[in-house]
Amino acid sequence: MRPSSPRTGPEDDQWRGRGSVRRTSRYVALLLLAVCALVVAACGSSDDDKGASTASGGGSGDKVKISFLTHWAPETVRAFERVTAAYTADHPDVEVEIRAVPFADLLTTLRSQAGGDNGPTMASIYDLWLPELVRDGVLSRAPAANAAEVTKEWPANLAGAASVDGSTYGYPNEVDLYALNYNKALFRAAGIADPPRTWDELIADAKKLTKKDGDRITQQGFGLISSWAAGTVHPFTSLLYSNGGELIADGRAALDSQQAGETFDLVDQLANKEKVSSAQMSTADANTTGPYLENFVSGKTAMIIMANWWESALRAGMRGRFSDIATAPIPVGPSGDAPHSVSYSWLTVVNGKAGEAEQRAAWEFLAYLNSPESGEEGHSAMAALLQSMGILPSRTSDLEAYRGDLSREFLKAYVEELPNAKPFPIVLGGQEFTESLQRNLEALQAGQMSAGDAQERSQADAESVLETAAG
Amino acid sequence: MTRRVSITRRAALLSFMLIACVITAFPILWMVATAFKSSDEALQTPPVWVPGHPTTDAFSAVNDVIDIPRSFINSLLIAGLTTTGILLTSLLAGYVFAKYRFRGKNALFAVLIGTMFLPPIVTLIPLFRIVTQLGWDASLVGVIVPNLANAFGIFLMRQFIAGVPDELIEAARLDGASELRIVFRIVAPNVLPALAALAMFAFVYHWNSYLWPLTVLQGNEQASPIVISLARLLTYTGSAANTPQVMAGATLAVLPPLILFVILQRFFVNTMSRAGMTG
Amino acid sequence: MRTARQNWWAAGLLAPSVGLIGVFVLIPIVLTLWLSLHRWSTATPFGDAEWVGLRNFDALFSSALVGRDFRQALRNTFVYAGLSIALLIPLSILFGVIVHRAAVRGTTFLRTVLFATYCVPMIAVAIVWSKLYSPTEGPVNQALGWFGIGPQPWLSDTGTALISLVFLNVWQQLGYFTVLVVAGLTQIPPSVYEAAALDGARNVKLLFKITLPLLRRTLLFCVVIALINAIQVFEPVATITQGGPVGSTNVLTYHIRQVGIERSQGGLASAMAVTLLLALMAVVTLVFALMRKGDDR
Repeated sequence: MRPSSPRTGPEDDQWRGRGSVRRTSRYVALLLLAVCALVVAACGSSDDDKGASTASGGGSGDKVKISFLTHWAPETVRAFERVTAAYTADHPDVEVEIRAVPFADLLTTLRSQAGGDNGPTMASIYDLWLPELVRDGVLSRAPAANAAEVTKEWPANLAGAASVDGSTYGYPNEVDLYALNYNKALFRAAGIADPPRTWDELIADAKKLTKKDGDRITQQGFGLISSWAAGTVHPFTSLLYSNGGELIADGRAALDSQQAGETFDLVDQLANKEKVSSAQMSTADANTTGPYLENFVSGKTAMIIMANWWESALRAGMRGRFSDIATAPIPVGPSGDAPHSVSYSWLTVVNGKAGEAEQRAAWEFLAYLNSPESGEEGHSAMAALLQSMGILPSRTSDLEAYRGDLSREFLKAYVEELPNAKPFPIVLGGQEFTESLQRNLEALQAGQMSAGDAQERSQADAESVLETAAG
Repeated sequence: MTRRVSITRRAALLSFMLIACVITAFPILWMVATAFKSSDEALQTPPVWVPGHPTTDAFSAVNDVIDIPRSFINSLLIAGLTTTGILLTSLLAGYVFAKYRFRGKNALFAVLIGTMFLPPIVTLIPLFRIVTQLGWDASLVGVIVPNLANAFGIFLMRQFIAGVPDELIEAARLDGASELRIVFRIVAPNVLPALAALAMFAFVYHWNSYLWPLTVLQGNEQASPIVISLARLLTYTGSAANTPQVMAGATLAVLPPLILFVILQRFFVNTMSRAGMTG
Repeated sequence: MRTARQNWWAAGLLAPSVGLIGVFVLIPIVLTLWLSLHRWSTATPFGDAEWVGLRNFDALFSSALVGRDFRQALRNTFVYAGLSIALLIPLSILFGVIVHRAAVRGTTFLRTVLFATYCVPMIAVAIVWSKLYSPTEGPVNQALGWFGIGPQPWLSDTGTALISLVFLNVWQQLGYFTVLVVAGLTQIPPSVYEAAALDGARNVKLLFKITLPLLRRTLLFCVVIALINAIQVFEPVATITQGGPVGSTNVLTYHIRQVGIERSQGGLASAMAVTLLLALMAVVTLVFALMRKGDDR
């Protein structure tokens, strides 16, 4: 039979033959079948997973499947997979899966898995997030033996950061703090011998280190990071602590102090009054890299306050010129007595919604991962993973085992300042508090607000966030 | 009447179109060119426009960071199954709305069409909880099932099926054909161009869709489609020296919807103009 | 008998789509409305929601941080949508008219190139454009330099970040709207132009006197679709700017997700979603009302 309608275009004709009709309907039927089969298979497989986990709870011979959520990069994940392979070789009844998400998605992922069955069994978290996860009841309390180990084997402040109301919720792994990083080549070119020790010296040096093309800054003396909560707030907090101030004291926002006022003024001086810092040269992107890193790497930023963990990014970016980079303690403010960096830690927690057998297997695995048993030469496998990224481990025996590596030039100033560092306050609403302070600091850095207004608004916002979170 | 277009006007039009093409194509060309650069070239200022020594290093490096074959299979499953589902549900519902008469039909149709204009974020949070409650979080099922029917498809199919002559359908009914048989044997072959356009539209949309899989999958790399893997690639290759890798990944991700478009574009354009969606 | 059988068939054929849309679209809309009146942590079951009346909405319109952030995101979203529409509609008319009418070869090629961008995943668009915008190695600033224009900060300045995102949106969507305009143009009978040409109307006059009035319904449809698309902007914000600098690219899809999932404040986020929906309905109604007014004239 010939196509009947003369009005249809050529592309319509080729669809009209009877044969193709029959063929198409057969395709449609096949596709329909395929959809049904796949949907059934997919539903079935997720049911199987659950079936397996409940069965294993009964202690039958089935494997216990546990998973570990982290934000580590692929090469670290691969190294971690070697550790889990070694563990499962000795524990054939356990299977460990590693899930990695970008840092920017980590908290969202943790939060969204909280109500579900398919969330990870273990997760590596930033200590600031702990109180809310405990409040929502999604974390497992550490069994007595694990809790005792954490208390005994870790420095007291880090064990404290892993607990809420006296109960331990996880194993501390990394600890991070801040220091002044500066480019020695640029210092030499500007005729400056030593890094600044006080805020006055910081401003004076930054002025000498800034180059301008008309109004546009082509080399900035000091980088004030923006578009990234911790990157904006932690350096500010380090300066505040080094000026004798606090963010939160006795559960109340303390940004209305004179010390805080001086710190807001310092930011205003750097960004607006002396213009030794360019807002555009120090933005971060969602991956906590971006222009602030690129400009320091390419020698367009002379000084910046950053955490120890960015060493690997600097090495990768600068290659041969990495030796130009040096580290110094945080400059001390007029009301301060000594440098005090802010410090924060990460810990590994266990999902309280996971099955009993999974929780037990997870705590056993974490004990292994963090003990000297899993690594070589007295350090733990966790410490080896962290060190491969240039991150400071936290277990007392790991710090001891890595003493030699930790004395390399870039890290030395950080390690030396560790005892003087003060933790970022861990409170309910901590993340939102950080983000509100970030907003106001960025507005100040962009010249949208005066230092006084930024201080006033930061205090008011902090009060409202902390009040809402507590209520 | 002969149409006379002066040489100068033709030249002006042609050069305008050339410039428009170049500007439009530039980001894609830049992406492909950068994918073949070495990391040194990617860092140079002023930028290198065309790689001096094209290398495929970046392409092989991508697979070290993300699982490309796995991501492609996941994207194919998501886009393919969702598209199939949309075609089927839209065909059936479009047939009913075009050829049946029953009370409340117009009201029901209006409610369904209203959802076409709903920004997904409005329902994201409760929808995510529902999917979680069903135990579909972190799995492909959760990504696919909620999207198996949509208002746009129903609307498009109704518009086209309305043009299928009633006599054809009545004749088949007199022959004793079941309604399902009529839909697949009589109606579907008559609206194939529209089905092809809908298929392209749905496939491209769900291949590219990001927010929903990101929310549902929660970092389950095994189930990640290529768009989620691409974001992961960007994250873990942060330094500008790794730009060629990111561009290589982006180039690979762009290929399937682009190829499908080139094959099916004429259906799409014709369908758009005949759907009556444009007045 | 006949109608009873027909009704059964109607129900059966509609069941898959109505069922799916009911469970996965309509019920969630009702839930969003219900949750907006509750204090509810997203990590807990719906049953744990606690009735708070309009308190969430009070917070959104208060001077507290929550309200300021939300209103900035709402403003950014509508500025983004408005700028996108302001650029997209005239450009798509321009390209549509050229593709439709030009008596030169290559228009199909132009249409293909234009429309191809619509098939590129937004995440890839965001990634590529973030590199194009790069202040130092980026080709955009380099190209501007040829015309004596100094380097622009693009994504890293509060004044330019949002418009930079608008440009990449326009780039991606232009082809789609051009095709819609072409589709609209093909429905204008050539006789209309011939009549006008006899009256001696010239090209530009033809465009404003005939083409645009006859295209009004198409353009209205384009405006509504562009608005809905613009409200969905998420990928470039989530992967490139994170809402910054200083909240200047914080848009609602990103903000609601952050509040509702990352901060687990599901009730508050639902109130934001409801406000967005109401604002959107108001704008669409306004657009339709303006058109009807035009029709009466």
